[in-house]
Amino acid sequence: MNIFTIHLLLRTLRLSSPIALIALGETYSERVGIINVGVEGTAVLGALVSALVSFYTGNAWIAVVAAVIGGGLAGALHALWCIQFRANHVVSGVAVNILVAGLALFITSALWGSRGTSASAPTINAWYIAGSALVIVILSQIFIFRTKWGLRLRVVGEKPEAADTAGINVHRTQYIYTIVNGMLCGLAGAYFFNNLGYFVNGMVGGRGFIGIAAMVIGNYSPIGALGAALLFGFADALQMSLQGYIPSQISLMLPYLLTVLVLAVLIKRAQVPAALGQHYVKQ
Amino acid sequence: MLVRETGVTLLSISLAFGIGCIILWAGGYSIPAVFANLWKGAFGNKISIGQTLTQATPIIFTSLSFLIAFRCGLFNIGAEGQMYMGAMAAAVVGIYVKLPGVLHVLICLLAAGAVGAAWGWIPGYLKAKRGVNEFVTTMMLSSVAVYFTDLLVAPRMFLHDTRYGSNQTVRVLGTAVLPKLLRPTQVTWAIIIAGCVVLLVWYYLFRTRSGYELRAVGQSPSAAEYGGISVKRKIILSMCLAGFVAGLAGAGEVLGTHTRFISGFSPGYGWDGIAGGLIARAHPVGVLFSAFLMGALRAGSMQVQRSGAAPGDIASVLQGLVIFFVIAPTLIRRLIRWRRR
Repeated sequence: MNIFTIHLLLRTLRLSSPIALIALGETYSERVGIINVGVEGTAVLGALVSALVSFYTGNAWIAVVAAVIGGGLAGALHALWCIQFRANHVVSGVAVNILVAGLALFITSALWGSRGTSASAPTINAWYIAGSALVIVILSQIFIFRTKWGLRLRVVGEKPEAADTAGINVHRTQYIYTIVNGMLCGLAGAYFFNNLGYFVNGMVGGRGFIGIAAMVIGNYSPIGALGAALLFGFADALQMSLQGYIPSQISLMLPYLLTVLVLAVLIKRAQVPAALGQHYVKQ
Repeated sequence: MLVRETGVTLLSISLAFGIGCIILWAGGYSIPAVFANLWKGAFGNKISIGQTLTQATPIIFTSLSFLIAFRCGLFNIGAEGQMYMGAMAAAVVGIYVKLPGVLHVLICLLAAGAVGAAWGWIPGYLKAKRGVNEFVTTMMLSSVAVYFTDLLVAPRMFLHDTRYGSNQTVRVLGTAVLPKLLRPTQVTWAIIIAGCVVLLVWYYLFRTRSGYELRAVGQSPSAAEYGGISVKRKIILSMCLAGFVAGLAGAGEVLGTHTRFISGFSPGYGWDGIAGGLIARAHPVGVLFSAFLMGALRAGSMQVQRSGAAPGDIASVLQGLVIFFVIAPTLIRRLIRWRRR
């Protein structure tokens, strides 16, 4: 059983990139106090938009940009609901997931006549996205911990009153980074499309939630999120290598089981942003 | 209070349907045809009303499952998996244990509930003792349960029905079957059980000390702790209860609708429970209404699909839109105020 090869390593790097992007996005939004469990649906939306735009324009690069914009819009919707309408953050994220799941089935049926599957469309090499994910993570690490904007965003999540007093626009900051979260998830979605060449329902398959787990284990830092994402990417890669050797059900459940185990064992009482999930009302 | 809440919910539903119309119009579909078929599929005749009720039954259970955890401040989005585990337990006890009539059904239900509760206990325990986000773990364990139960009924596995190629068990014994209630429809006694469980959950949450404490934890864990309530125990308890009720959903499907465990039997009842619980504003009695709505949308969407008026999945889009409006009461209130101006 020759599975521990260079292929496994490359596959790990590749498969961990969307998880890292989602975990990084969640790091941004939770750092400003907005929980977004809609990242799963946002990634699905990114994949769907990629397929749509690539199919109709024939240009896969434009499709990537469109996926990022689409993800950003989903982030904006979530932010609007959490900030303006004071919806419960988790509930609003769940609503994003359910709405996108319905839209994906509806749009694929309407346009391609097959429920949940798109036609094939031009792609870019998914390694471009995997590579850019690595760069974005490193730049984010510097941005969040070494720049004044990074300090501002952290203050908003920790002490919104203090941020307000210091002249930072709390709600605007929250909007910006929730949209950034959406854009990163959209990019992750574009990875899923370009990896396969078409959209199929279930292609994200819980990677959004695994991304949240990676963010938790990474302790709200981009590099930490990347480390955890690599672990989950490895589980995914191993799962693919094991296919054919063990019953498919066991290999398929492996990443999910591992996520629960890793969370149970590795979790520390993390430095959760103090104002996470709260609604800031200007005094 | 009740009138206003109901009014806001109804307005939310109308708004969602309005946006649904815009989507249909943009897609070039005939709006009257879609809604005529949606109505026909959900309420057109005896059989279609039966379809609506059959689909609503498991959603009543999963909605209750979601709201029990929600009332304790937790998010159980893994009802789907707990339901599958419960369904498998009901099938095993229904096939291999020999008991007289009614008792057999009761034992099957208890087994389903117990296994569902065990599956809910894991995220509850991890949340209480280790602070692990239950949202992620319930979701992950849900997928694990779906694959695990599928494995048990896969070819060459011991629960597989060798007469058929598909992944399913043999039929449960006649003594374990929940009889059909309204022939010729598919409605079974499961819906009566669901109704009883709604009342039980209401009684538990609003008329018992334990239920009061559970809600207190949901309102404010720190205040509850200060008041002498063990928050950790309540978290574990609520996740177990949520799992128990979700397990009953699976038992209802196995003993009633299908009379065997079929892999992938659920078209997403567990996920519908999230919508059902939210639209009911986490009130057990409201679940009767919201699960009925979900069931009607599911039954209606099949007819929409068959008729070719539009893809049936427009119903899922509507469901998503309804949630968006229901969860933002300030939005609806703003709209009302804006109209008065």
